[in-house]
Amino acid sequence: MIAQTATPRVVLAKIGLDGHDRGVKVVARGLRDAGFHVIYAGLWQPIEAVVQTALDEDADWLGISLLSGAHMTLVPPLMEQLRKNGLDHVGVLVGGIIPEKDIPKLMDLGVRSVAGPGTTIPEIVQRLHKAEDHESVEDLIRRFRDKDRRALARLLTLASRGQSLDALRHELASRPTPRRVVAFTGSGGVGKSSLIGRSAELLRSKNRSVAVLCCDPESPLTGGALLGDRLRIAKPADDAGVFIRSLATPGGQQAIAKNLDVMFGLLGAFGFDTVILETVGAGQGDTAVREQSDVLVVLLQPESGDELQWEKAGLLEVADLVVVHKADLPGSDRMAAQVHEHLNLPGARPIPVLKASAAKGQGLEELWAKIDEHPG
Amino acid sequence: MASPTIEVEKRPSVAELPVPDRADPATTVSNVPIAPLYTGQDLARLGVTESESVGVPGQYPFTRGIHKEMYRGRLWTMRQFAGFGTARQTNERFRFLLEKGQTGLSTAFDLPTLMGLDSDCPQSRGEVGRLGVAVDTIDDMRTLFSEIDLERISVSMTINAPAAIVMAFYLAAAREAGFDWHKLRGTIQNDILKEFHAQNEIVFPPEPSVRLVIDLIEFCTQQVPQWNTVSISGYHIREAGSTAVQELAFTLADGIHYVEECLKRGLDVDQVGRRLSFFFNAHNDVFEEIAKYRAARSLWADVMRNRFKARDESAWKLRFHAQTAGCSLQDRQPEVNLMRVAYQALAAVLGGCQSLHSNSMDETLALPSEHAVTLALRTQQVLAYETGVTNTPDPLGGSYFVETLTEQMRRQAEEYFERIDQQGGMLAAVDAGFFRREIAEAAFVYQKSVDKREKIIVGVNAFEEDEHKSLDILQIDEGPEEEQLRSLARLKKTRDNRAVERTLSDVKRAAERKENVFPALMEAATARATVYETMSAMAEVLGRHETGGLS
Repeated sequence: MIAQTATPRVVLAKIGLDGHDRGVKVVARGLRDAGFHVIYAGLWQPIEAVVQTALDEDADWLGISLLSGAHMTLVPPLMEQLRKNGLDHVGVLVGGIIPEKDIPKLMDLGVRSVAGPGTTIPEIVQRLHKAEDHESVEDLIRRFRDKDRRALARLLTLASRGQSLDALRHELASRPTPRRVVAFTGSGGVGKSSLIGRSAELLRSKNRSVAVLCCDPESPLTGGALLGDRLRIAKPADDAGVFIRSLATPGGQQAIAKNLDVMFGLLGAFGFDTVILETVGAGQGDTAVREQSDVLVVLLQPESGDELQWEKAGLLEVADLVVVHKADLPGSDRMAAQVHEHLNLPGARPIPVLKASAAKGQGLEELWAKIDEHPG
Repeated sequence: MASPTIEVEKRPSVAELPVPDRADPATTVSNVPIAPLYTGQDLARLGVTESESVGVPGQYPFTRGIHKEMYRGRLWTMRQFAGFGTARQTNERFRFLLEKGQTGLSTAFDLPTLMGLDSDCPQSRGEVGRLGVAVDTIDDMRTLFSEIDLERISVSMTINAPAAIVMAFYLAAAREAGFDWHKLRGTIQNDILKEFHAQNEIVFPPEPSVRLVIDLIEFCTQQVPQWNTVSISGYHIREAGSTAVQELAFTLADGIHYVEECLKRGLDVDQVGRRLSFFFNAHNDVFEEIAKYRAARSLWADVMRNRFKARDESAWKLRFHAQTAGCSLQDRQPEVNLMRVAYQALAAVLGGCQSLHSNSMDETLALPSEHAVTLALRTQQVLAYETGVTNTPDPLGGSYFVETLTEQMRRQAEEYFERIDQQGGMLAAVDAGFFRREIAEAAFVYQKSVDKREKIIVGVNAFEEDEHKSLDILQIDEGPEEEQLRSLARLKKTRDNRAVERTLSDVKRAAERKENVFPALMEAATARATVYETMSAMAEVLGRHETGGLS
């Protein structure tokens, strides 16, 4: 039996066409501040995509926000899909404009809680207490060997919490590892998630399966975290060849989550060809990410002004590849030339400098050719 | 094994709490501190002068209103936003509202239409006709306005991503019905930037989205001279949780971006400027709202005259529609919403709006019932005919308090303009998630203050009643969806599908060449191409905007 002492994981999503996201964003912030790990899946989510997010993210709770009045059309198939995927244990919370007469109908469908207008954040926090967990590690590992995706998701949670590590390491000792673990790092806003999304598309088109681990910082005060990167990684709802998992990284200096080696092992053993690690804007001199990956890709974007801020970030020194992203912006050629000049001094290890743009879909093939030919 | 629980602050039930004291220190809804007293010294400190900052109604900088006589000359237009089910049903509601004395129409489209989808798209299931009227083709548009004299009644249409297509439907439908484009009056919202900031009804990426906005402005400025080509909207920004100053600043910044794009295209600033209109929220804080409208007028007059060098005075005038704040309405004790709406409408009128929608008391629960929408309209009529607030323009002009607030808001808005410029301009700031972050932060701060009872909401966190009284609300059943699907299927069989394909490939070609797509859209509309077919033709060239995220 696994003791559940850790932070509940809550997936929040909007289904249907309605774009009113004030409520869901406020709830996301409030739950983070109350110590939850919150994964926001974004707007316009197809039901299949929401269910897969809940599965891959090992959600304890799934919060659905609906202000369009379409809840009686959309919630029944959602509940059915959850059941079909063995996710009966995931507590479903429906928020938004829900007429009183529909509340009993939703509860009959298996919805655990309904939060209408006027519900306060503390009230929602109180409702989302943690459900008990009765699965043993042995059982999970057995199911993992049978390619049970939910077991994979659960084991990743255990690894991230530092639980049952010996059993997991033992299991993974003789299992295959991923072909490539590629880390994408760079400061906030440089477009890591969008470039990873495009990379996943490219790898899928070559029939390579891909798992993405997105790291976001958790609050040093509450231990809560708001994990929103996955929503920039567009993928078809029904593609089992893509696995996206959000990870909270401990507060402080570290830019990456704990026990990544075990998580990579789990993903490799499960059959994922390539693992992509997205890290939060790695701080100055933080090179922990280097040790965890086969190939480290550092993203930069064209900056205004003459001062080259990146010179200060010791990270460039350990990069295997540098990508000047948003290459459609002015100044990208100049920047690529300057970075190339700076890094490729005579006698130094040659570091390729490439240009790419996720928005325009440019430079992806070249980038992955370089990644694949890198000795690792 | 014990299941762990999250530590939460134990919150006593409202009944256990004492009736709250007045908030101390006093702040506005947007958390702006208010001094105990305002005097002439505040105006002197801020450099507010009667001749320059305040002025007189009808003259630059129009702080006191865009007309000399304001409502003595002509009342505001009472325009209730309406739409549900099929075009036939909404047409009936329109005619009902006109019979009740409403003086303009305002069209709410359903979510599939707003998102550029047809009723038969799989994503539309359950949403057809639910929050507005379903319009798939020009034929729906003709039904929507049948038996309504479009040369006499002005029509507003709230639509953005597919605005150019829907406008083409309207113009083609009006032509088929024999109306003269030169006599058509109305407004199309056509404001995509606030969708990226707040409202999320987005289809194409920012840059081509803005290009479409300008296509419509260009075409209608030339061909439909009395039409408001864009309604630059702060309403949704505020509904998403912004402060009053953010609403003001982001809206005007959007307006500035549109004008810049028009000028890049070589359009005449006077011609374009005359047909721009604005749309603001009317929230709870009466004086903050009044100051916001006054600041908006003088800022815009300055921008148009001094930055863009418009020479025609009518291009300096900020004309605006106001809607009372939907986000302020509560589902507890819903009849109390009547009072909220009345005070908000008062603020809009004291602030000099040109047209006004007053929300119905049941709008947190559903689309308004006929009873509720009648009361909402009557609220405006009482304001107009009984209260005397229309008797003189800008009755609060010269108030130490209101003039101080107005000047403070002007300055804070200008600070935001600078911050946007520093990030590389509007589209760079959109791309960086600046607006979304600012708004989400303000929304969170506000919710926390409500949860902590620092802000009191009657019936919600104070003065609560145990008994939950509900209203009779409008029910929309599945009927309209089925009816709409049948008529769309019928149309697709009977129209000339080769003409549809030909006109759609013309739309695509115009988009590829970055020509104004509007003339091609008119042809596609006339050939009975649907909203989704036309959007798809354009998306092949323009791309689709994929995400709607936290930032």
